[in-house]
Amino acid sequence: MQGVPPAMLEFIIQNNIVCHAVEAMLFASISCAILGVIITQVQISSIGFTMAHAAFAGAAVGMFLSLNVTICAILAGVCVAFLIGPLAEKARVSPDTALGLLFGISMAVAIFFIAYMQTLGQGFSAMGLLFGDVISLYREEIYLLALISVVAVVFVVVLYKEITGIIFNKRIAESVGIRVKPVYYAMLFVIALTVALCLPIIGGLLIYVWLVTPAAIALQFCYRLSAMFLVAPIVAAAISVSGALAGLEYSLPVAPLTAVLFSVVFIAAVFLSPKRRVTFRKS
Amino acid sequence: MTPTDPIIRLENVYTAYEGSDRPTLTDISFSVGRGEFVVVGGPNGAGKTTLLETINGMLPITHGTATVCGHDVRNEGVRVRCRVGYLLQNFAFDPLTPFTVEEVVLMGRFGRIGLIRKPGKEDHEAVEKALHLLGIEDLARRPIGHLSGGQQQKVLLAQNLARDPQVLLLDEPFSNLDMFARESINKLLSRLVASGIAVVIVSHAFDDLPDCRVRVVVMHDGRISLDRECLPADVGQVDGRISLDRECLPADVGQVIRHAGSAPCYA
Repeated sequence: MQGVPPAMLEFIIQNNIVCHAVEAMLFASISCAILGVIITQVQISSIGFTMAHAAFAGAAVGMFLSLNVTICAILAGVCVAFLIGPLAEKARVSPDTALGLLFGISMAVAIFFIAYMQTLGQGFSAMGLLFGDVISLYREEIYLLALISVVAVVFVVVLYKEITGIIFNKRIAESVGIRVKPVYYAMLFVIALTVALCLPIIGGLLIYVWLVTPAAIALQFCYRLSAMFLVAPIVAAAISVSGALAGLEYSLPVAPLTAVLFSVVFIAAVFLSPKRRVTFRKS
Repeated sequence: MTPTDPIIRLENVYTAYEGSDRPTLTDISFSVGRGEFVVVGGPNGAGKTTLLETINGMLPITHGTATVCGHDVRNEGVRVRCRVGYLLQNFAFDPLTPFTVEEVVLMGRFGRIGLIRKPGKEDHEAVEKALHLLGIEDLARRPIGHLSGGQQQKVLLAQNLARDPQVLLLDEPFSNLDMFARESINKLLSRLVASGIAVVIVSHAFDDLPDCRVRVVVMHDGRISLDRECLPADVGQVDGRISLDRECLPADVGQVIRHAGSAPCYA
């Protein structure tokens, strides 16, 4: 077909639908896992959680107003990330409470518009936002996902030093002369971007599994942060591709099936973790 | 900045925490020269840690001027922090912290290295030197979360020394250390002071001061209520209060005691 870019894994997977699904899951899992290491280690899981649901709400509003769903999702995610601090300060509530408020509002907005669209007969496309849809993606969207994976990798490689400082301790990072605020906000922006782009594939309800579980699995085996940044995306890619292949082969919903696989691997990792073993033996 | 200029100079400084409607530090004028050893004491909530964070540019100065290492703290906070070592109070890292000791010490160089650039040979040499100074070379590859509180404290001190600082701000540096570790750190601090580094410590352990002339600054309610140079032998502690030899105290000591509340007393 003229003007349509070729699928990247076409040389391995001949079936076009399966190829698209595998590519989408692969790139989404790599970017989510890399940023998931940051989210879990900086302990901003609740920010990631709220941003994911805000992006979900933004996408629902965008769909209702016939605007670009991805751009609306990015805007909503970024807005929430930048609203948490000022809201906590102005409303004199803890950041945790501010996150709870924003999460509640996001979910309410998202569910309202999805339910309303169902009454208008647009329910099928709206439900895709909830649970994800790996099959009906355009190739351009997959290229965009590949691009965000590259952005996530480059972001971590270029700012590795600053990111490790912030992960270790934000106050210590500030005291050694790291410019914590700009790096922190850049971090939130890249997370919002990734969440918004992965939303159509994974869905607003499940994206958090992709963000947190690979990092949690890697933490069971890694003693160093650099190792976590390698192990988390490899594990996520392996599980996501397996989930996509199995889901398409047996006609099961791909994203929920992959989320279940993530959970099973996490439980296995907890039991197999060397960090919980006592290796000392009296000679 | 000439070698004789104070390396820390605060003039009529007021500091407030974000969201607070009253200043935490009030009208602080305070300067420290190169190679000076200052010990800051006072009751809880007196503003001792706030003073260190103000010097380090981590708190907003609402009024007054502060220069450290020739840089305006208000506008060049990051530059100040690249030249000042600051050991924060009460840190404990859990066993899951994914950093080794040498990675943590290397972080001390990050501000100096600058954004995006990678650590070089010089930075790794500075890490080795700092670990050697603290006598913890053998811990370099261990995860920091697997160390005791005292060892973690030494690692954080090494992190600050790796920065090659002109000023060292230490908040309760002896809190997790045993008697031998205190002694070795005191010897190290004496050497650093002799080499021209200005050291300001917040400490309640006045019995463990390095063997050099010390300046005792007592704070109360966000103000400096006493600022006096002494020999270590003249400084002690009685009933939890800073105790100074009578000879060291200013003539208006009675007034000082009334204003300072719990500190100081005289032996």
